[in-house]
Amino acid sequence: MKLTGTYRLAAPPARVFAALVDPDVLQRCIEGAERLVRTADDQYDVHLRLGIGTVKGAYVGTVRLTDQQPPDRFTLHVEGKGAPGFVRGSARIQLTAAGAGTVAICDADGQVGGVVSAVGSRLLDATARMLMDRFFERLGAEVR
Amino acid sequence: MFAAPFDYARPKTLDEALSLLSKHGDEARLLAGGHSLIPAMKLRLAQPRLVVDIGRLDGLRQIEARDGRLAIGAMVTHAEIAASRTLADLCPLLVEVASAIGDLQVRNKGTIGGSLVHADPAGDWPAAILALDAEIEIAGPQGRRTVTAGAFFTGILETAVKPGEILCEIRVTAAAASAYVKTEQKASGFALCGVAAVVDATARRVRVGITGVAPVPYRAAAVERALEGQALAEGSLAAAAGQAAAGVTPLADIHASADYRAHLARVNTARALQRAASR
Ligand SMILES: Cc1cc2nc3c(=O)[nH]c(=O)nc-3n(C[C@H](O)[C@H](O)[C@H](O)COP(=O)(O)OP(=O)(O)OC[C@H]3O[C@@H](n4cnc5c(N)ncnc54)[C@H](O)[C@@H]3O)c2cc1C
Repeated sequence: MKLTGTYRLAAPPARVFAALVDPDVLQRCIEGAERLVRTADDQYDVHLRLGIGTVKGAYVGTVRLTDQQPPDRFTLHVEGKGAPGFVRGSARIQLTAAGAGTVAICDADGQVGGVVSAVGSRLLDATARMLMDRFFERLGAEVR
Repeated sequence: MFAAPFDYARPKTLDEALSLLSKHGDEARLLAGGHSLIPAMKLRLAQPRLVVDIGRLDGLRQIEARDGRLAIGAMVTHAEIAASRTLADLCPLLVEVASAIGDLQVRNKGTIGGSLVHADPAGDWPAAILALDAEIEIAGPQGRRTVTAGAFFTGILETAVKPGEILCEIRVTAAAASAYVKTEQKASGFALCGVAAVVDATARRVRVGITGVAPVPYRAAAVERALEGQALAEGSLAAAAGQAAAGVTPLADIHASADYRAHLARVNTARALQRAASR
């Protein structure tokens, strides 16, 4: 599953970058993230509780940041396992200055397995997009 | 496929049901017709510790005409709506939509409240609820509140009903000139695109609700604006329907591409408006 999104944020790239690599900000922006616990440099355990309708799941996963080139780009890797299945994905995030703000381009590639993928395939893409849109919406509010 | 073990409660009053929900929080789930919840439990996508059956609660099963408005209880089944004389006379759109849902078994068990709270983007009820500009009454620990249809659907499988709350009633104003046009996914019966239209020829106004096309069901605002104050002639209806997917990012899956869904939105809107205007 591949997803691309372009988002406008009302802060310069350096501010946006700093927010994106801050675990507290990540926790507030990732839908359902209850806790982020640092396990190594740029690596965190994340406790997720996704409550999407009838299909609810608690996941435990890891979040890793790689290829950091402040303030332009980095890659965010997410891996999680829970009762309904597993998710694994990475998102390349590219920040470009635009006026006083930033344009963020997010290129995500993910796999979902387990029961969730078998049953939910009709809604998976759309749900992933909704989660990504919300992430950047919240990030926008964080850096404003 | 077997569900994980769970406890079962069947409260007799709304207050009892609400207090079970506040006591058990996240671990409890309401059971209405069970046609979305039980499959999810069997696949272990949902694993509630406690299932709260609201099938015996008083006051959620009636269809009533009062003060020129119609009130439909959350636990009224699709089949009961399809067979209602009151609704056939005063709000035939609800009858038409109920008859278009799934098959007989689904209509006999599934409820309007359960469907709305489940909020499948391909469910049929959202189109009608939006086109009728319904009011939705929700009971919670702090009492009752009313939400309009336009503010009810907040995301994929997400609504304004918060954990711990119970949808009680749906209220609409009687509307005679209406129609529902659905293109269904052949295997499941769910809507690839369903359009509900309500036409008010005297006020020269229409309302159009569309389901199945976007991640969240929507009112076709551009279509409604184009027809505001216009004589509702066949040509103007067809022209306005061209904007049925304006500003929308349609869903895409193995059953229908985004372009195809947008196309269906335009075609079904034209048909629904013409059919409604002729009634
Ligand atoms: C084979 C099949 C085909 C189908 N085809 C269609 C179709 O063509 N069109 C269509 O629209 N639908 C279709 N459905 C879905 C059907 O309409 C379901 O009945 C409906 O989505 C859920 O209603 P329910 O009463 O069964 O709710 P349940 O499955 O009991 O509950 C669904 C969810 O809503 C919550 N809930 C239920 N009632 C309330 C309430 N009053 N307040 C708060 N929360 C509540 C539950 O906790 C649960 O999370 C189909 C289903 C099946 C199995």
